Amino acid sequence: MKRFQLFIRGISTNWTGTLGVTFVTSAFLLFVGFELLRIAGILTNSYVGLISYMALPALFLLGLILIPIGWWKFRQATGRTTEELLSQRFPDDMTKAKRLGSSLVGMIALLTVMNLMFIGLGGARVLHFMDGPEFCGTACHPVMEPEWTAYQNSPHAHVKCVECHVGEGAGALIDAKLNGLWQVISATFDLYERPIPTPVRQLRPARETCEKCHWPDKFYGTRIKSFDSFAPDRTSTPRHTTLALKVGSGTGEDRGTIHWHIAGSNEVRYEAADPGRTKMTWVEVKRGDKFHRYTNRNVQPTGSDEHPAEVRSMDCVDCHNRATHVYQDPEGAVDAALSADRIDRHLPFAKRVALDALLGNWRDKDAALSGIDNEIRGFYRRGEHRATGLGLEIDTMVKEVQAIYARNIFPAMNVTWNTYPSHLGHRGESGCFRCHNPDMVDEQGVAVPYDCTLCHSLLAQGSDQPFQFLLPLEHGDPDLMLHKFHRDEFLGTDTPLPQPVEEETPATDS
Amino acid sequence: MKKLLIAASLLALLASGAALAADDTAAGKCMTCHKEKSLGLYNQWYDSEHAKHNVTCIDCHAAAQGDADGFMHEGALIATLVTPYDCGKCHEKEAKEVGDSYHAHAGEILDSKDAYLAHAAGGAPVAIAGCESCHGGKMLIDPNSPNKLHRLSWPNSGIGRLNPDGSKGACTACHTRHAFSVKQARQPEACSKCHLGPDHPQKEVYEESKHGNAYYTNQEKMNLEAKRWIVGLDYFEAPTCATCHMSATSNQAVTHDVGMRISWTLRPPVSKTKDNWEAKRDNMKDVCTNCHGKTFVDGHYAQLDGLVHLYNEKFAKPGAALHKLAKEKKLGDGTANFSNKYEWIWWEIWHHEGRRARHGAAMMGPDYTWWHGIYEVAQHFYFKYIPELRKFHDPDVDKLIDEILADPMHVWMSQPTADIKADIKSGKLAAMFDGTYQVNIK
Repeated sequence: MKRFQLFIRGISTNWTGTLGVTFVTSAFLLFVGFELLRIAGILTNSYVGLISYMALPALFLLGLILIPIGWWKFRQATGRTTEELLSQRFPDDMTKAKRLGSSLVGMIALLTVMNLMFIGLGGARVLHFMDGPEFCGTACHPVMEPEWTAYQNSPHAHVKCVECHVGEGAGALIDAKLNGLWQVISATFDLYERPIPTPVRQLRPARETCEKCHWPDKFYGTRIKSFDSFAPDRTSTPRHTTLALKVGSGTGEDRGTIHWHIAGSNEVRYEAADPGRTKMTWVEVKRGDKFHRYTNRNVQPTGSDEHPAEVRSMDCVDCHNRATHVYQDPEGAVDAALSADRIDRHLPFAKRVALDALLGNWRDKDAALSGIDNEIRGFYRRGEHRATGLGLEIDTMVKEVQAIYARNIFPAMNVTWNTYPSHLGHRGESGCFRCHNPDMVDEQGVAVPYDCTLCHSLLAQGSDQPFQFLLPLEHGDPDLMLHKFHRDEFLGTDTPLPQPVEEETPATDS
Repeated sequence: MKKLLIAASLLALLASGAALAADDTAAGKCMTCHKEKSLGLYNQWYDSEHAKHNVTCIDCHAAAQGDADGFMHEGALIATLVTPYDCGKCHEKEAKEVGDSYHAHAGEILDSKDAYLAHAAGGAPVAIAGCESCHGGKMLIDPNSPNKLHRLSWPNSGIGRLNPDGSKGACTACHTRHAFSVKQARQPEACSKCHLGPDHPQKEVYEESKHGNAYYTNQEKMNLEAKRWIVGLDYFEAPTCATCHMSATSNQAVTHDVGMRISWTLRPPVSKTKDNWEAKRDNMKDVCTNCHGKTFVDGHYAQLDGLVHLYNEKFAKPGAALHKLAKEKKLGDGTANFSNKYEWIWWEIWHHEGRRARHGAAMMGPDYTWWHGIYEVAQHFYFKYIPELRKFHDPDVDKLIDEILADPMHVWMSQPTADIKADIKSGKLAAMFDGTYQVNIK
C-alpha cells in the first residue's frame, strides 16, 4: 500500500498527471462502487447505467491518457533523462534493478494488467449496456422520448430494441454502430427531423427479426376482436363492433386469409408513391412464375427511368408498421379507457369531455397537463353538468386523460395525434384499403378483392351487443338485413326472416 | 301442355326464390359497406320509418335491366336516382297525386320567361345552380360517370325533376333523403327552400302572419311526427304550409296534389280563377273552419278577392296592355325580350311586387300586402313604368296612358289633395271598390 502511495505520488508529476491519476482512480472506485451496489440490488435505477457504463469508462480512459502526457510534459519541462527523473520521483528501492526487473516495473505491470482487465470487463459491460433498451431510449433523451415511451407501453416492451433494430451477426453490429455514429452527430448538432420520419428504412428485414418469434407457418385461425366505441352523448352510450378476423397462416395454402400475404411460397410486392407508403402505385402478386399486376387508377407513379421508385416485397411491417411503437388515436384511446372503466361513464358526456380535453391545442406538455385538468374540472363545475358525489371519478378521469396525452403526444418532437398512423385495418383509405380498393385494377379492369367479408366476418357493427349478429333476428330492427347477412356469412346458414308478432295498425295519415 | 305449364311455373317459382335470396344478401352487403363509408347517411336512414319497416338500400335503388341510369355496383344493378315511379311501388296514391300536381311540372320551365331570363341575362351555371335546384331539370346521363349521373345533375332534388324513366318529380324535394321524415315535410322550412324571396315570399308572409307566429310558439307541441295528423284532432296550435295545402282534416284525406285547395292563380301577370275553383275554395275553407268561424273565413276571402281585383284592374291589366302595345310597336333600342328597361320594370311590377301583394293578402301578411306589395306596384307604375314609356313619344302609347290615367281609380293624381282627403273621409273613394269583394265582378 505504501508502495502504491509512493507510485501515485511519483506519477503525479504536474497538474496534467495529477488530473489523470484523479480521473483514473475515482472512475475506477466509483465504477466498482456502483457495480457492487447494483449487484447488491440497492441501485436499480436504469439511468445509472448511463453514468457507470458511459461516463465512468470514458473518464477512466481519459485519465489513463493524461498520465503519460503529464510525464512527457514533465520531462520536456525539466529537460532531464528518464533515468534521472525516475530516481528523482521514486525511492531508490523501487527503481533498483532486481531479478524480475525493478519493483516500479512490477507495479506498472500489475496496474496495466488491472487496467486491461478493467477495460475488458468494463467494455463488455458497456457493449452489453448499449444493447439494452435504456441506452437506446434515454441516451438521446429528447429525440427518443416519443418512441421510448410508446415502446414501454407496447406488447414488445420486454423485447430489446436491438433485437429488431440491429439484428444478429457482426455485419449487423457494424452497420448499426456506423449508423449510430451518424445519429450521435445529428443529435449533437441538432440535425435531426422532428418528427423522426418513418418507416425506418434500415430496419432489419422482418424475416430475420419478427419471424424469430412469429413464424409464418403458425396457424392463427380466426381471431375474434371486439372494439367498443362510445357515443358523444350524455351517457356515453357504448356501441360494439366485433370482427372475426380470418388471419389463417402463412403456409400459402390458405389463399384468402390475411397472413397469406407473407407466406414463404407467396410474394406480394408493390411500389408506393409516397415515403410513408400510404399510396400504392401498383401491387403485384406472384402467380406461378409470373407477377400479376394491379395498378391504381388514381395514383401517379413517382419513379422515372433514371430514378425508379423503390419496389418492396411485403413483409410483416407493411401492415404491422406500429407493432411496437404504438401510438393511439385520440378517439380509440378514450374508448379504450371508457371500456376499461378508467373513465367512469356515470360522468355526463364523459366521452365528449375527455376527447375535447385531449384535442386542445396545447403549447407544450406542462400546458397540456394543466389544461386537461382545467378543462375537465371546469366542465363538471358548470351547473348543468355538475357531477355531485363523483369527485373521485373526476380525479381518476383527469389522471387517465393526462396519461393518454403523455404517452401519445410529444410537442418537442412535433409528435401529435396520428403523426404515425397504423396500417392495420382500415380507416378511410388507409391500411388494407391501400391495395384492396375498387381503383386498384388489373389490365382486365378487375379490382383487388375488397369485400367486407373477405378478411373478416362481422359479429357486430356499431351494435348494442358485442355479438349482436349471433343473436336471433328480430322483426322491426332496422339492421335486420345487415344482421341476417353477417349471421349467415359467419355460420354458413340461411336464417329465415322473422314474421311480425302481430299485425300493426295500418299507417294512416288521413 | 299442362305439364309444361307446371314446369314453367315451378321454374318461375324457383327463380323468384333465388332472386329473393340474392336480394337478401345484397341488402346486407349494401348496409355493411355504407354503414362504414357513409355512416351519416346510414344513421339518417336508421332513424327513418323505412328502417323500421325493413325497407333497405336495395329496395329503393335497385334498377331494372335496360334502365338508362342503371349501373353495376358491387354485384348489384342499381340506380342512384330514386324516382316517383320507384317510390310509387309502395306509395301508390302519393305518387299519383304528385304526378297530377303543379309541382310535378315545375321542371318544364325551359319555355318560361324565367328560364329565358336566367339563360339570356344570366347563363347556364345560374340556370343550373339557381332555377333547376328548385324546379328540377332534365337528369343527364353520363356513361363515363361511375353512377351514370352527370355532375351537372346534382343534387337532383328539384321538385319537378325530369327523370330518365319518364316520371316527373322528386319526392326528396320535401322528404329529404335519407330520413324521409314526415316531421320535416310538415314544417314550413321544408317548403321555404324554394318558396321565399322577392318574387314569391310565401315563407316570409307566413312568418309575418299570426299563423307563423303561433307555429313558432308551439311547434314542439304539434305532434309533427304522428302518423295520423288531422288538424283539430291531433294538433290545433297553428297551421303549417302542409296543414292548409295538403294535410288531412276530419273531412278530407291528405293530398300530395298541392293545388287542390287553391282558387286563384296568384302567379301570372293577371290573376285568374283556377278550373273548378269553387270546389278548391271549399276544400280550403274546410281547413280554415277547424279553427275559424264561417264568417271569419268568408271575410278573409272577400278581402283576398278585393285585393286581387284591385291589383288586376288598377295595375295589372293596364300594365299588361301597355307592355303588349310597346312590344307590338317594337319600341326601344333592344330587339330581344328583356332588352329594354321598360320590360324589366313591368316584369318586376307583376312578377315580384304584384305577387308579393297577392300572396300577402292570401296568407294574411299585411306588410307584404301593402309596403312590399301594392305600394311598390303603384310607385313603380306611376313613377318608373309610365315615365319610361312616355320617353318614346309614341302617340298610341301616350294615348293609352292618358286613357288609363283617366280611369276613376287613377284620376286622383290630377285632383286637389283636400278633395281626395274629403273623399277618403266620406268613404267615397272606398265605395269605388264596393262591388269587388267577391270572385266574379262586372
